[in-house]
Amino acid sequence: MANSVVTKVDPFTLDIVKDSLVAIGEEMFYALARTSMSPIIYEVLDYASGLTDAKGQLLTQGNGVTGFIGMLSFMVRETLERYNKAGDLKPGDIFLINDPYGGGGSHLCDVGLVMPIFYKGELIAFSANKAHWTEVGGKDAGSMSTDSTEIYQEGLQFPCVKIYDEGKLNQAVVEIIRANVRFPDLSLGDLWAQVAALKTGERRVQELCDKYSKEIVVNSINHLLDHGEQLALKSLRELPKGTYEAVDYIDDDGIEEGPFRVQVKVEITDNEFICDFRGSHPQVTGSINSTLTGLVSAVRTIYLAVTNPSQDVNDGSFRPLKVLTDEGSIFNAARPAPVSMYWESMLFGSDLIWKALAPVVPNRLSAGHFLSVCVAILSGKHQDTDERFLIVEPSVGGWGGDAGKDGASAQFCILDGETFNIPVEVCETRNGVLVDEYSLNIDGAGAGEFRGGNGVVRSYRSLTDNQVFTASFGRHKFKPWGANEGKDGSINYFEFIKASGEVAGPFGKYNQYPLNKNDVTRLVTGTGGGYGSPLKRAVEKVVSDVKNEYITIEQAKNDYGVTLDPETLKVLELSKDRQ
Amino acid sequence: MRVATDIGGTFTDLVYVDQHGKIGVAKSHTTPPNFEKGVLDVIGVSGIDTAQLDTFIHGTTVIINALTERKGVKTGLITTKGFRDVLEISRGNRPDLFNIQYEKPAPFVPRYLRQEVEERLNYKGEIIQKLHKDRIQEIVKYFKKEGVEAIAVSFLHSYSNPVHEIETVQLIKELWPEVAVTASHEVTREWREYERTSTTVLNSYVKPIASSYVDRLERELSNVGNDSNKYIMQSNGGTTTFEQSKQTPINMVESGPVAGIYGSAILGKIIGEDNIIAFDIGGTTAKCSLIDSGEVKVTTEYNIERTERTAGYPIKVPVVDIVEIGNGGGSIAWIDDGGSLRVGPQSAGALPGPIAYGKGGTEPTTTDANLVVGRLSPKNFDNQVDMENVKTTINEKIAKKFNTTVDEAALGIIRIANSNMLNALKLISVRKGYDPRDFALVAFGGGGSMHAPALAKELGVRKVIVPVATSVFSAWGMLMTDLRHDYIQTYIRRVEGINYDELNEILARQESEAVEQYAGEGVKEEHVLFSRFVDLRYLGQEHTVKVPVPNGKITKEGMNEVIQKFHELHQQLYTFKLEEAPTEIVNLHLIAFGSVQKPELAKLENIGGTLEDSLKEVRPVLYENHGWIDTKVYNRTLLNPDAKLSGPVIVEEQSASTVVYPGQKVTVDAYGNLIIEAEV
Repeated sequence: MANSVVTKVDPFTLDIVKDSLVAIGEEMFYALARTSMSPIIYEVLDYASGLTDAKGQLLTQGNGVTGFIGMLSFMVRETLERYNKAGDLKPGDIFLINDPYGGGGSHLCDVGLVMPIFYKGELIAFSANKAHWTEVGGKDAGSMSTDSTEIYQEGLQFPCVKIYDEGKLNQAVVEIIRANVRFPDLSLGDLWAQVAALKTGERRVQELCDKYSKEIVVNSINHLLDHGEQLALKSLRELPKGTYEAVDYIDDDGIEEGPFRVQVKVEITDNEFICDFRGSHPQVTGSINSTLTGLVSAVRTIYLAVTNPSQDVNDGSFRPLKVLTDEGSIFNAARPAPVSMYWESMLFGSDLIWKALAPVVPNRLSAGHFLSVCVAILSGKHQDTDERFLIVEPSVGGWGGDAGKDGASAQFCILDGETFNIPVEVCETRNGVLVDEYSLNIDGAGAGEFRGGNGVVRSYRSLTDNQVFTASFGRHKFKPWGANEGKDGSINYFEFIKASGEVAGPFGKYNQYPLNKNDVTRLVTGTGGGYGSPLKRAVEKVVSDVKNEYITIEQAKNDYGVTLDPETLKVLELSKDRQ
Repeated sequence: MRVATDIGGTFTDLVYVDQHGKIGVAKSHTTPPNFEKGVLDVIGVSGIDTAQLDTFIHGTTVIINALTERKGVKTGLITTKGFRDVLEISRGNRPDLFNIQYEKPAPFVPRYLRQEVEERLNYKGEIIQKLHKDRIQEIVKYFKKEGVEAIAVSFLHSYSNPVHEIETVQLIKELWPEVAVTASHEVTREWREYERTSTTVLNSYVKPIASSYVDRLERELSNVGNDSNKYIMQSNGGTTTFEQSKQTPINMVESGPVAGIYGSAILGKIIGEDNIIAFDIGGTTAKCSLIDSGEVKVTTEYNIERTERTAGYPIKVPVVDIVEIGNGGGSIAWIDDGGSLRVGPQSAGALPGPIAYGKGGTEPTTTDANLVVGRLSPKNFDNQVDMENVKTTINEKIAKKFNTTVDEAALGIIRIANSNMLNALKLISVRKGYDPRDFALVAFGGGGSMHAPALAKELGVRKVIVPVATSVFSAWGMLMTDLRHDYIQTYIRRVEGINYDELNEILARQESEAVEQYAGEGVKEEHVLFSRFVDLRYLGQEHTVKVPVPNGKITKEGMNEVIQKFHELHQQLYTFKLEEAPTEIVNLHLIAFGSVQKPELAKLENIGGTLEDSLKEVRPVLYENHGWIDTKVYNRTLLNPDAKLSGPVIVEEQSASTVVYPGQKVTVDAYGNLIIEAEV
């Protein structure tokens, strides 16, 4: 009976309602950014929000970062599994969830909220969001450690508990949070912002039902999912069919020496995109383990990049995608493995596929990039207010060149996205530091017909004693890869230049390094891989690179085969290889 | 007589109002790259006596064109040591999340022209390293050698204390008087070094272009005997003198479009509507802006070339808060890979234009769809419209794919276009906590009045106003503007424990700066009106809420009222308030209006005749939910004040058509505006 109603709805109405659903996702997204209390949300946009259907299939997702692309629907499905009896879910309920092993996905700092949406007593959709809280407690400020060995050290776990029961706030949970986190105002401020955004989603979906009827909205939901699948299948047909493989190594885990071998086999058929990570390293002692949800997000990201990067995303788009992995592996860790620096392995989920497909999908992919979130965590007291400050920020770095242009310099890694660095002027106002330098890392790496983009140098001078610094900069031992005869990029690292002049480092990971007044922490991110042989780079570009000091006159000669007059930059000679 | 000229993509519009309040309009082709010629042309066409002019107001696209076409001058940048790459690092964001080949916008100043000088202030504006003046000399020498034509100076924390920027500019002017220079504090006093540097660089980049344009225009005008007061429309909705416009031309970046928004606010005041949604549909885009209690909203979060897929370039000057989407009369209807109908953002533009123009257009557009459903008449086109071709194309490209009739497909195009525009209208109203029922929609531009009645119904707006001269309404808005300068100072202070003496001193300084600037522009102090705001937030938040502050000295009690207002506004905009949370000031914002004498608007003359005399024809028009209805079409120029019409009805005028739905009612008001009661 319902089906006969479907066919009578004209196609344009379905499209209009479909577009309205997407617009709701966007509205929820911006509502959260504008009301958040934490810089990591409002500047870094380290959050996602969206709608799923009643079964937990993603309908629309507003993303600040790519890394959450798999996570909302897993949270909703976990909620459906845990509360599976009639009457378990009621209007006004909101669930709190961050358990990486139970629908949460990433690490404990990423806190999710799920709200069932009812229309006239019937469950029709879910509103969900997930945001990086500055603090969820645990052994270290910022709730991320490079030396944790169990998840219990990494903060509070919310195993899908009701924070609102039929609209009534569970004050006990709020008090537990308040007592267990270091910056309760920030974390609870984010919680309220997330709740407000969820309610916006609920209200808008109900209004849509009022206007068009529940049946049309539900039909549009199916239409939306089918539309996503159609787009995905069409792009799949355009990809080269076959099996492609790649292998790489993760540095270490902050405790064990490493490296850890990881691998992928990608099989592309007319209607499937299968990524097989079986055979990769087992889970490790330190905090770089990824859960299955994390891996799926990483795979989805690169899958979208090679199929159709500019579409509105929903679960229909992912129907052709399959991910295979061993349980208990570094990509699919089991409780109670620590996961706070999960991106150091999760990112390899993207990068391995990227590397495997780069030679066959040159129109969509590039050489390798600096591949780490490069999170820096610095805490201490402000020199004027004596208040505690906490910097938790990802870093920008170099991207790889591609078949048509140089790689981007100073851009956040693939797991981030609409992520913004913290302005120096804002940083110095809030925190007890002076930024000595924020400039491009000119190291000449990533030579190619199309150069790898540059990483950056950002230096923090501590202005008070007793500050502590923690960071995880992956790709510290294995460089970003060059493609199609382009040269490799350079590694990420950080070092400390003490007031005494003594230098400590370089490091890729460090937990709680002590800093005093006038000690400088120097963060350096790598240059991306080059694409194509440097000898094919246009001569005038090489001249311009020297003039702009992206490369030295020696590199022009040695890497690019172009000898220049140091004064006038006139071309004196081209190398034999070039001719 | 006051005259406004507005340069658009295709036409340069002119609207004048004489001493009796009578309005006249003229149109002429835009003449790139010598835009001043088009201005002189349109003055000629209008037949006005240039000697009678006492005020000339101008809106121009010269600045935005120079930016988007990269036609500015070679610009050098001087920054604090350690920060030359700020312009290239930018904010590191990648809006096109899943695009590995995302192309980061290239900086306007290449690396070799970004030079560093030793100097440093801390966040409080205290000097921790003195300016190394010898280095400036070296840089100037180097810039000369490299053929630089303009210099931008941007130092860290200069919003807090511009001392080093001032010294640097002085030095440059001594060393190289003829070079164009901009220091960041001259264009914005807000924090965030990348955004401020970007703004400064773009100002320098267009400064010589603006000077030469404004000078040429001034010369041409005096050649035809015009010695009126001359003003240029700025992006903040007010005007400034020709002289000032050459100093900070970046303030003209949205010179034209904002005038229609401002005009909507003025029109609202005249006819007693304080809450307005201004809505402008042109050939390629639709723009809208919300006016709350007569207050045009201004923001400094403006960007050029920013889309959902690319970051663009920030310009941190006050710009009327406009939401713009790629949906206009020329927007192309197409079917995406998933089989859904879409309209825009691709546009057929002026050339080839819609199929109906007969200039080689092959893609169906919104205009073509409006023709098929009878909302536009082929008789009102300059050319002979080949309706068969229009219908065949819509049938081939759209209708067949959906297995529908041509009529349904054409209506589908209009509905999708309306849905896109509705989302933009919701974005500025419902989603910001406003109830559309409290607002009237002012519709203008070539397509505004055609779509507005349908959108008002969907949005729940009770009234649509189609102003006189609706297709040249932006120029009309310019006629009604005052001079305006904005002074925004970043001033980070917690409200609790704030030093009121210091606060009042800074506010007083802003006001005296404004009085001084106006004195230089020939505006007496008694004509300067102040409007003050603070940008407030809860401590720890990033985004701020603009809260009005009464004039005069601020006391603790006065501040308490401001904070109360802040809680209310926060609740309205973001659905919650935190009355216990500490609050923080981020910016002090002073708006100084230099009010000028404006003519009283004349009322519409009754030209006699009956309603039947203004009836042009009856033609079938297709309405969603109603089907084809024989609809009366009236000639707007023959309608008398107080004329009343009932929908379905169409009112046509030169280059615009107002489509009124069944159940809606139209009245011609005393000034000749069409007032449509939208709610059924």
